[in-house]
Amino acid sequence: MADGVDDGEFYLRYYVGHKGKFGHEFLEFEFRPDGKLRYANNSNYKNDTMIRKEIFLTPSVLKECRRIVADSEIMKEDDNNWPEPDRVGRQELEIVMGNEHISFTTSKIGSLMDVQTSKDPEGLRIFYYLVQDLKCFVFSLISLHFKIKPI
Amino acid sequence: MANAEAEAVDFEPEEDDLMDEDVGDGSPNRATLPRLKSAITGGGSSTAPKKTKGRGFRDEAAAEADRNARMSAPFDSLDSEGGPGPERSIEGWIILVTGVHEEAQEDDLQNAFGDFGEIKNLHLNLDRRTGFVKGYALIEFEKFEEAQRAIREMDGTELLTQTINVDWAFSKGPFRRRNVRRRSPRGHRSRSPRRRF
Repeated sequence: MADGVDDGEFYLRYYVGHKGKFGHEFLEFEFRPDGKLRYANNSNYKNDTMIRKEIFLTPSVLKECRRIVADSEIMKEDDNNWPEPDRVGRQELEIVMGNEHISFTTSKIGSLMDVQTSKDPEGLRIFYYLVQDLKCFVFSLISLHFKIKPI
Repeated sequence: MANAEAEAVDFEPEEDDLMDEDVGDGSPNRATLPRLKSAITGGGSSTAPKKTKGRGFRDEAAAEADRNARMSAPFDSLDSEGGPGPERSIEGWIILVTGVHEEAQEDDLQNAFGDFGEIKNLHLNLDRRTGFVKGYALIEFEKFEEAQRAIREMDGTELLTQTINVDWAFSKGPFRRRNVRRRSPRGHRSRSPRRRF
């Protein structure tokens, strides 16, 4: 079992976005230590409006989120060899787990090709899949609770 | 070091909750927005400073300003009276099942949970890398009693040789954070000095 699964603080924030022709388009969600999940999705494409939702999660849900993070072993990685955020976009992943606090930034990842041709394919792959797994989790929670399609 | 005390000490929410913001408040009150560091460390926890890593710490001021701008507007939620206890979702009650076997199929969950009531929604998400079940499922029942029975009767039982846990997914309010720091030093009466490991 990876470190920190049941100990101490837990906080997670993920952001992906870019500023472009249709304004600042972004997706962001945040698991806060008191159980609040905040979700925001903004796009001005075809005049879509901002979606902002929040809901309190039970400790069981936070614990499962921690498990997903711990199993990924993302806390062992480092972003120093990952592509820097650029015009095309930016991703941010910030996690506090136990006594470790990571705050990674990188560009948008289009596909596994981008991962494989990067300078740190192993680490970036872990990031890539963790983000997908977290999105799945968050989208399920939000769509079930609010009965909306969150994207 | 063995953690001799089993009890967890809770912060009083009024004293300590940097997270509290009124939903729909409308006014981005900068003072109530948690600064990232203090929010995460719970405002004065005595845990050791965290080991930090990553480029995100570089431009902290600019990034934080951006982030606060994004997070400062009101977020929608369903009306709730706050406080502890499960929260109803738009059309029903959602429970979380964890410890789900990686080869589980929706049918397995239907069979295990279908007795408690009609399952209105079932999300059994897959691990995006392996294609196996990620390990959790979200199940919606229309009635509170159905969900409650499912939790009571299935939590800690076995599904496909693995122990599952079942609990509510959503809560009406924040839960008290457990923290390593002790404020009330002794839960028991002995006057002998604490053992130090």
